[in-house]
Amino acid sequence: MNGRRAAGPRPGQTFDREPARRVFAGELREVKLQFREGEDEKSPSFVLLPTGARCNRIFIVGTLTEKERRGDQNVFYHARIADPTGTFFLMAGSYQPEAMQQIARIEPPAFVAVIGKPNLFESQTGSMLVSVRAESVTTVDRETRDLWVLDTARATIERLEEIGKTDDSKRAEEHYHPDPAVYRRMVYDALAQLKI
Amino acid sequence: MEVADVVERISGKMEAKGIAVDRSRIESKIRRLVEEFGVQLAEAERTVMNELAREHSLPSPGTRAQEREIQGLAVGEWVTVQGKVVALTSPRTPAIAQAGILADPSGAIRFTVWAKAKAQPLSVGKWYRIESAVVDEFRSAEQLKIHSGTTISEVENETSLIPKMIPVRDLRPGVGSVRVKVVQEWESSHERMLQAGLLGDETGTIKFTIWREEGKEKLIPGAVYAIYYALVDEFNGRLQLNLSTAVYLPEEGEIRVAEGEAARGVIVHLAPGSGLIKRCPVEGCNRVLSRQNYCPVHEIQKDFRYDLRIKGVLDDGIRTRNILVQRDIVETLSGMKLEEAVALGESSPLGMDEVFYRIRDAVLGRYFQVRGSEFDGRILVKECQKIAFDPGDLAALLNRAGGEAQ
Repeated sequence: MNGRRAAGPRPGQTFDREPARRVFAGELREVKLQFREGEDEKSPSFVLLPTGARCNRIFIVGTLTEKERRGDQNVFYHARIADPTGTFFLMAGSYQPEAMQQIARIEPPAFVAVIGKPNLFESQTGSMLVSVRAESVTTVDRETRDLWVLDTARATIERLEEIGKTDDSKRAEEHYHPDPAVYRRMVYDALAQLKI
Repeated sequence: MEVADVVERISGKMEAKGIAVDRSRIESKIRRLVEEFGVQLAEAERTVMNELAREHSLPSPGTRAQEREIQGLAVGEWVTVQGKVVALTSPRTPAIAQAGILADPSGAIRFTVWAKAKAQPLSVGKWYRIESAVVDEFRSAEQLKIHSGTTISEVENETSLIPKMIPVRDLRPGVGSVRVKVVQEWESSHERMLQAGLLGDETGTIKFTIWREEGKEKLIPGAVYAIYYALVDEFNGRLQLNLSTAVYLPEEGEIRVAEGEAARGVIVHLAPGSGLIKRCPVEGCNRVLSRQNYCPVHEIQKDFRYDLRIKGVLDDGIRTRNILVQRDIVETLSGMKLEEAVALGESSPLGMDEVFYRIRDAVLGRYFQVRGSEFDGRILVKECQKIAFDPGDLAALLNRAGGEAQ
């Protein structure tokens, strides 16, 4: 790890790392649109959230409830992470060695913090599913989980308040016709599960 | 007030809305009301204005437009406000007759009077009612544009204004009042500049300048001041305070100035070069050695010094910031002293990577509040605290989420 891999941009090159968006499972599940910015093979790919933000990367904290090791030659892990609104589907393969080794060491159930990239794919039954390709998975405490619920609630409300004001949110409105009341309800219910 | 003035004002208002008017027709209407029917000129103005508004299906201007508070005006609005001129500045072009700051109890805004408006000159310290001005934006700061369709009338007002003090962190381009300490005084870079330096309060610091002008005095380094109505400008993406318009008074008390930038977020990435590192022992060098103990300047160094650091990324969901965390803070965050890290690095089969993994598992995915000075796009962290769960935040968010839906 230390110094073995070339690290991102060369000196002198400016590079803005994509922020990790905060999103509840209940919203990510609804994602049906993925796009690439620019023609380049290396240009980042985004999914568009129904509340109107593009995300190339997300940050989630929840309970790792199940993990499953698959494959012989190409080992990869599948895992399920539950938050107060639903479930995230996590993937880590040989291209994410760090995350794979981290998942291998965690015994469910456990609170985990995940940084990863959302991907849209079509299931065998033809429906669109979102999975998260993990970059890193660490075990955390309950307080970090609670902080994430607050953080994600705030981010979701702020996106709801911006609906129709940014290009991305206009695009999301056209594509998803989101009902703000439904998402407010989801946020409220998620918050209500925390103990004061 | 003359009939001709009124005709001009009505025409100006209509033309500002893109409607061509016939001045002689307006004049005959006014004269008819005033001379034949004995209507007072102000009432005649209102009548004719309403009539024209109806003719062109504009919203009725009403007798007196609703007065708005300065705080909360938005770009693009046509507004009527009442406020006190608290400062005048020198106009930046001859097209502008006057520029300055207008304040009311809710806040303050910059204004410009266009030369074309042919408005009466405004005086500092007097209150005016300004009807039908437009809020626009100049260099990210909102301002009130006084044009030919704007009506200005002096009013009697004895309200004493107490400007709201704004934490340095919350300043926006426009106008701001602050309670601050003079942190640094810099050499003037310009002969017209009286003083430049850094001001700060508990929430942050900001650059200031005072230009050489009659009656302007320097601030005393280390002293605390209340500064009223300074111009907040944005320059190269950073804010600075221009005290040309401001009144500043020395204050009692002390301020513990927050050093550098503050940022909150989650550590989402630990870059290579974090953890246990070796530094070049040559005096004044201190560069990080490669795994083979190679210094880019002094080549192989066997008597290196060990150090701990984190090169990471702090992410608040909107923006990512690079952070550099020094040894003492890394020790606190990871619960591992340098000596323990060295012992671990030398005994573990994974070597120094083991220290990296320990630190990663302790900080990655956690919420932190950091503070430090920004250098070369990286925050050099001087303080770092884990963010604690605050039930008050939960209650506030429940309200915000439930406010409209339930």
